[in-house]
Amino acid sequence: MKEALFGLPQHVIFCRQCVISNQRPSSTVEFKHKLEEMKATIGFDNEGVCDACRYHQVKEKQISWEKREQSLIELLDKHRRSDGGYDIIVPGSGGKDSAYTSHVLKYKYGMNPLTVTWAPHKYTEIGWKNFENWMHVGGIDNILFTPNGRLHRYLTQQAFLNLLHPFQPFIVGQRIIGPLMAAKFGVNLVMYGENQAEYGNNPDENYKPTMDRKFFSVGNPEEMILGGKLIKNIIAEKNFSLNDFAPYIPPSADYLERNEVEVHYLGYYLKWDPQECYYYAVENTGFQANSERTEGTYSKYSSIDDQIDMFHYYTTLIKFGIGRATYDAAQEIRNGKITRKEGVHLAQKYDQEFPHKYFKQFLEYIDITEDFFHETVDKFRSSHLWFRENGEWRLRHTVWQESQ
Amino acid sequence: MASGGCVIRFGKNLNEWDVVKNIRLIARLDIKGPNLIKGIHLEGLRVIGSPSEHALRYYLQGVDELIYMDCVASLYGRNHLGDIVSSAAKDIFVPMTVGGGIRSVEDATQILRAGADKVAVNTAAVANPLLIAEIARRFGSQCMVLSIEAKQVGPERWEVYTENGRERTSLDVIEWVKRGVSMGAGEVLLTSVDREGTRKGFDTALVKAVTAEVSVPVIASGGMGKPKDLLEVVCNGGADAVAMADILHYKRAEIGEIRAAAEAAGLGVRHYERT
Amino acid sequence: MSAPEVVVIDYGVGNLLSVQRGFEHCGAKVTLTADPEYILAAKRVVLPGVGAFGNAMQALEQLCLVKVIRELALRQTPLLGICLGMQLLLDESEEFAVTAGLGLIPGRVIQVPKETMLGESQKIPHIGWSSLQPLGCPDSWRKTLLQDICPGESTYFVHSFMAVPTNPIHRIAECEYGGHLIAATIGRDRITGCQFHPEKSGEVGLKILRQFIIQ
Repeated sequence: MKEALFGLPQHVIFCRQCVISNQRPSSTVEFKHKLEEMKATIGFDNEGVCDACRYHQVKEKQISWEKREQSLIELLDKHRRSDGGYDIIVPGSGGKDSAYTSHVLKYKYGMNPLTVTWAPHKYTEIGWKNFENWMHVGGIDNILFTPNGRLHRYLTQQAFLNLLHPFQPFIVGQRIIGPLMAAKFGVNLVMYGENQAEYGNNPDENYKPTMDRKFFSVGNPEEMILGGKLIKNIIAEKNFSLNDFAPYIPPSADYLERNEVEVHYLGYYLKWDPQECYYYAVENTGFQANSERTEGTYSKYSSIDDQIDMFHYYTTLIKFGIGRATYDAAQEIRNGKITRKEGVHLAQKYDQEFPHKYFKQFLEYIDITEDFFHETVDKFRSSHLWFRENGEWRLRHTVWQESQ
Repeated sequence: MASGGCVIRFGKNLNEWDVVKNIRLIARLDIKGPNLIKGIHLEGLRVIGSPSEHALRYYLQGVDELIYMDCVASLYGRNHLGDIVSSAAKDIFVPMTVGGGIRSVEDATQILRAGADKVAVNTAAVANPLLIAEIARRFGSQCMVLSIEAKQVGPERWEVYTENGRERTSLDVIEWVKRGVSMGAGEVLLTSVDREGTRKGFDTALVKAVTAEVSVPVIASGGMGKPKDLLEVVCNGGADAVAMADILHYKRAEIGEIRAAAEAAGLGVRHYERT
Repeated sequence: MSAPEVVVIDYGVGNLLSVQRGFEHCGAKVTLTADPEYILAAKRVVLPGVGAFGNAMQALEQLCLVKVIRELALRQTPLLGICLGMQLLLDESEEFAVTAGLGLIPGRVIQVPKETMLGESQKIPHIGWSSLQPLGCPDSWRKTLLQDICPGESTYFVHSFMAVPTNPIHRIAECEYGGHLIAATIGRDRITGCQFHPEKSGEVGLKILRQFIIQ
C-alpha cells in the first residue's frame, strides 16, 4: 500500500537535533546508478540523532585540529613545487567553498594550485561574476571545462526522465574533473573542499582524508551507466561515439595507482564551516552573495551558479520529501548558526517552493513540455511520502508537523 | 517669531551666516534570539555577542541613539525584543528604536511599553500601509519610523524588499517612501541591501533620491566602512543620521573618532565627553 | 533617609516609562498618577507629554487636572514640564487651531521654522542632539535645574513646535536649529520646562533630573 520507493525507510523520522529526515540519500557512485538501485540513507542512532549531528559533535570535541593541520602541512610539503609547475589541483566553481579552498592553499600554505571547473549546465549571472572574480580578485589560475553540450543535455534529459536526477551528469563530471586534470597535468594531489560524509554519508568516511577511488575510477567505460542507461546502449541508439563520452570517463584505476593520484578533502584537515567560507570568499576573492534568496531556501550564497541547480533540489524534494531549506538549515543548526526551532520554521516556509525563475530555461534545456515534466515528477512520488488532497500533493510527514 | 537677530556661533570660527547641519550617529544592533548578529547583504548571520554588552559600550562611547532590529521576527510572526529592550532601558538613557515583526498597533504598544521610544516597521507596513497611520495617530509621528530595505534594480531605481531582505515586493522605493511619509511616518530608516555588511560605503545615490522627496529625517543604513563614509552620505546624500553596525560591532572604529571626523568636516554633532 | 519622591502626571499622553526609569536611576521613588489629591500633595511633580497640544489639554481638562496644576504653581511646588509638557505651560499654542494652555509662563507655542535662516528647507520635526547655551552669562544657570550643566553640552530634542516666552527672563537656555534660536529650557519661580527629553539625554539629562530631585 504505502510502499516506499527506492528502498527508502518505510517510517519517516526527523533528527532531534537538526531537521534532516532519515530519507536523506547517501551519495552514490553515479556511473553505476540505476533506477532499481536501493538507496543507502543517513543513519540515525537510537536517541533519534542523525549521523551528521553525531559527527559534528566529534568535530567539535574530539578532533585535534592542530594535529590535522599539521598533517595537511606535511602532505603539502611533499607535493609543493617551486619551479612554476602546478602542484595541486583544486576542482570547483568559484563558489564560496572552492574560493576558500584554492585561496587558502595558495596564499596561506604556499602551494601553486590550478583550479579546474566543470562548467555548470547554464551559468547564472551572479555565478559568472563570482567565477570571474575568483580569478581577477582572488588571483587564481583556472581551466574551465565545458563538456559537449549536445551530449550533456541528452544525459541530463535522460537522467531526469529515468532517475528524476537531472543533476547527475554534472555530479559525474564534477567528481572526476579533479583526477582527470591531475592526470593530464602530471599533478598527483587533488583537493576538494568538504567531505559530503559530514552531511550524512557513511560516517566512517569522515575519518579518512581521501575520497574513495570508487567515485572516480572505472573498469570498462562501456559498462558505465549514465542517465540510467548503459553507455554502450546510448552509443547504439543515438548519434554519439565513445569519444563523446570522454569527459565522463574517469582515469582508469590502474592509471591512478601507477601515478599515485590522491584525492583529499580539505575539510578533513581544516575545520569546515560553510558560513565562514562565505566570509572568507567575500573578503578575498570578490565573492558576492546573490541579492535575492534562492527558491526553495532562505540562503543567498550557497550554490548559486547553475540555473539547473534548483531542479536538483526540487527533484530531491519529490523523491525524498526534503527540500533545499532543510539541507541548508540542517547544516547551519549543526554549525551553531541557527537554532532547531528556526530551522523548522525556515523549512516550513521555503522547502516546497517551486523554482519558477528558471523553469522555462530548464524545460528548454532538456526539451520537454511542462505537462511531461509534471507527469514525470509524479511518477517518482513515493506513496509513503506523498498523498493527494483536493488535487494537491502533500507530504505525509514534515518536520514542522512533527515538531508541534 | 523666534527671538530675533543673527545667530552668534557658539565658540566656533564660522561665518555668522553659516548654518550647521546636525547629524546623529546611531548604532544598529541586529538581534536574533539572545544574540547580537551581523551578516553581509543581510545573510550569513554571524553571532557577535551580547546585545546588552555592546549597547552599553556604545552608550558610554556617546552614541546618539540605538536601533534594535529583530531579524527572525518575520519568521516567527512576532517581535521578541521586549526583554532586551526592558533591560537596556534600565541603564541606557538615549533614544531607542525597535523594529522587526511589528505587525499591529498592539505590537507597537507592547514594544513602547517595554521601553522603546520609536518603532520601526517594514514588512507589515508594505502589506498594510494604514498601519503607519494607526501607529502615528496613537503614538505620534515621531514614534513611527518607516524602515525600508532597498535593492538597486536599475539606474536610479531601487526595489523595496521585506522580511530582512528575503522577499521582493515590486514596489519602487521612491514611490513607497513618499506614500509612507504621507501616511504619517515621522522618520525613515533606509537600508541598502546591496551595501550592507560590505564596508564599501553607503549607497549615496539611493539616499539622495529619497532625501530629495521627503521632508522627514532620513537615517542612512548599510555599508559604512570608515568614518569618512559618513561625510559622503551626509554631504552628498543629504542624510540626517547614519546607522552603523559592522564598523562598531567588529570594533573597526569607535564612536568618538567618527564624531571627531564629522565635527572636523563642519557638521553639528552631539557634544559628548566621556565621564 | 527615604528616597525623594517624584509624582509624574499620567494623563494618557506620552511614554512615561522612560521618565520613570530616568528618575529611578537617580534614586527617586516615582509614582505615576492622575489622582488630583495625590498630585496636589506631592513634593515635586513632572508633567510629561508627547503629541498634540490640543489633545493633551483636552485630556488634562477631562481629568480635572488643569486646576490642579495651576494650584501647584500657586503653592510653589517644584514642577517640571518635559517636551509637550513644557509647551503646555504657556498661554496658548497655534498647533491646528489656537488652543489655550495652562498659562503659567506667558508666551505662545508656534511652529518650528520649516526653513533655515538662509532660506533652505529643513526637516521637521527637529530631531537630534543640540547644544544648550545660556542667555547672557553662564552664571545664569546657577539657581536653575541646569546648574550642573556646562554651556555647550547637548541634549536630545524631538519636536515640531516650540515655546516662545514673552518675557526674556523666563528663557533659561537656548539651542539652535537652522540658525533659529529655540527655547530649550524655560522657567519661572519653581516651574521649569525642558523642550528636550532629559530622560533621553544621557548623563547630561540625568544631571538635570538629579537637580530636580533635590529641589
